[in-house]
Amino acid sequence: MRGHRARLGTCLATGAIGMALVMPVACSKAPAKQRAMDRRTEVAQLQRTTDLLQRQVELAAGKDFYLVLDPATSSLTLMLRGARLQRYVVLGIQVGHPRIAWFGERDPRPVQGVMWSRGELDPPRQLDRLVIQAGEPGKDTGDPATPPIPPTPEEMYPVPSRYHVRFDDGLSVEIRPREADATTGRWARLRASWSARWRDAVAAIRAGDRDAVRLRIVLNPKDAESLYRSLPPAVKLIVLTGGEAGAAPASPDTVAR
Amino acid sequence: MEPSPSSPPSSGKAPVAAIPEPGAPPAPRPARPSAATPRRLGPIPLDRRTAGLAAACVVLMASVVFGGTGYRYEAFVDIPAAPSDRVPSDDRGLQQLTARLRTREREFAARLKAAAPRGVYIVIDQTQNRLYLKRDDETLLQAICSAGSGMVLKESGGKKREWVFDSPRGRFEIRSMSRNPVWRKPDWAFVEESEPIPRNPAERLDYGSLGEYAMYFGDGFMIHGTLYERLLGRAVSHGCIRVGREDLRKVWANARLGTQIYIY
Repeated sequence: MRGHRARLGTCLATGAIGMALVMPVACSKAPAKQRAMDRRTEVAQLQRTTDLLQRQVELAAGKDFYLVLDPATSSLTLMLRGARLQRYVVLGIQVGHPRIAWFGERDPRPVQGVMWSRGELDPPRQLDRLVIQAGEPGKDTGDPATPPIPPTPEEMYPVPSRYHVRFDDGLSVEIRPREADATTGRWARLRASWSARWRDAVAAIRAGDRDAVRLRIVLNPKDAESLYRSLPPAVKLIVLTGGEAGAAPASPDTVAR
Repeated sequence: MEPSPSSPPSSGKAPVAAIPEPGAPPAPRPARPSAATPRRLGPIPLDRRTAGLAAACVVLMASVVFGGTGYRYEAFVDIPAAPSDRVPSDDRGLQQLTARLRTREREFAARLKAAAPRGVYIVIDQTQNRLYLKRDDETLLQAICSAGSGMVLKESGGKKREWVFDSPRGRFEIRSMSRNPVWRKPDWAFVEESEPIPRNPAERLDYGSLGEYAMYFGDGFMIHGTLYERLLGRAVSHGCIRVGREDLRKVWANARLGTQIYIY
């Protein structure tokens, strides 16, 4: 009986020693795994940052104008060859996906980090060119007609309350001024809202040239007008990573108007 | 009195039309079915109430479909970077990859910085007729200017040439600078005035119309002054950038040969 107890005691003691030896090893393995995972995530972030920088270098090397949407600083910047031409404060960003009869179709492609090209205004900015036929040289045509005084940019290019910049591959940026319809009456606002809903519904139903993804960017009304009037044709776009919509906006002091 | 078997039943049913006898007045037309006996579509009676209900159902369904058709917007959220399968799993491989990526990151950041203009540069918004003098992110001057009108001039005689008065878009640099510049009028300036194009080059020279300074940036385009300051802010030029006297002085004071000009 005594021998049996002694054997049991020896077994327990061996087990305890074994556990004491194994436990620290097992415990140290879990943080190591976590560390490896953290490292991998860090590498992935670094990879993404590097890819983004590479794309920006490519854009800066090209001859096209491009927009850089930075959610981290809430800014939309018009650039050419690495130079900042105009910077707009972004007041909000939303992503929109089409849906038909409540069935959504989510585009799996990422919006960020991709170079979107050939962006054009919709509705387009129209320039009515004045064509002048010169008179025959040396012939007296009477009093020369006084050339008309051209209108101001505000008169020449009326800005719609909402407009799009449509890019190839199905991305559309909807520019919407904050409190777009605040100056109009209730019925006019309601009508505008329903009209926008109707246009969205029709756009979602159109299978051929539907916007696969929409980015809705809210700007100050003056910025939205300025962007419409001066956006060059065939503009490119890159959406940077980092930050969320509604992050601290760029300081107004640094924003040129 | 018992109704005879040939008399019409009194249940409201239409009488059976009899063959009229010759000379007899025409028999009255059979009465239409009254509202009390509606037409039926199978088991469903086709009365006003059913039609109203059907219309309401259609409207409801259409609004449900319309309400769920369009674009569904949600807040923009930054998607975190997901580790790629190509990332090595061992510690040493990870360290090497990290070091390589850091080097590339530094390299790209340096290239991006090198692409940006150094020192003072000029930005021109030709649609809104604005000129900005900038240094890095700082705007030193915002001036009203006049860019190309976009007008088309067609020559009547001669070579039937055509000119479009647009300001160019893109990046340029100041190639030459001139104080009290003299304008050597191109052909279109004479065609526009319906004047013969002179053979003597001296007859092309025009003094004073370009203001105090001119900064030439290629293809005959310049930033210069104007005699018509009241038209600043409107697109009236033949492609050059016209600036008011005071603003032109500031631009001149800051500009150098090689100063970058960005026109959009």
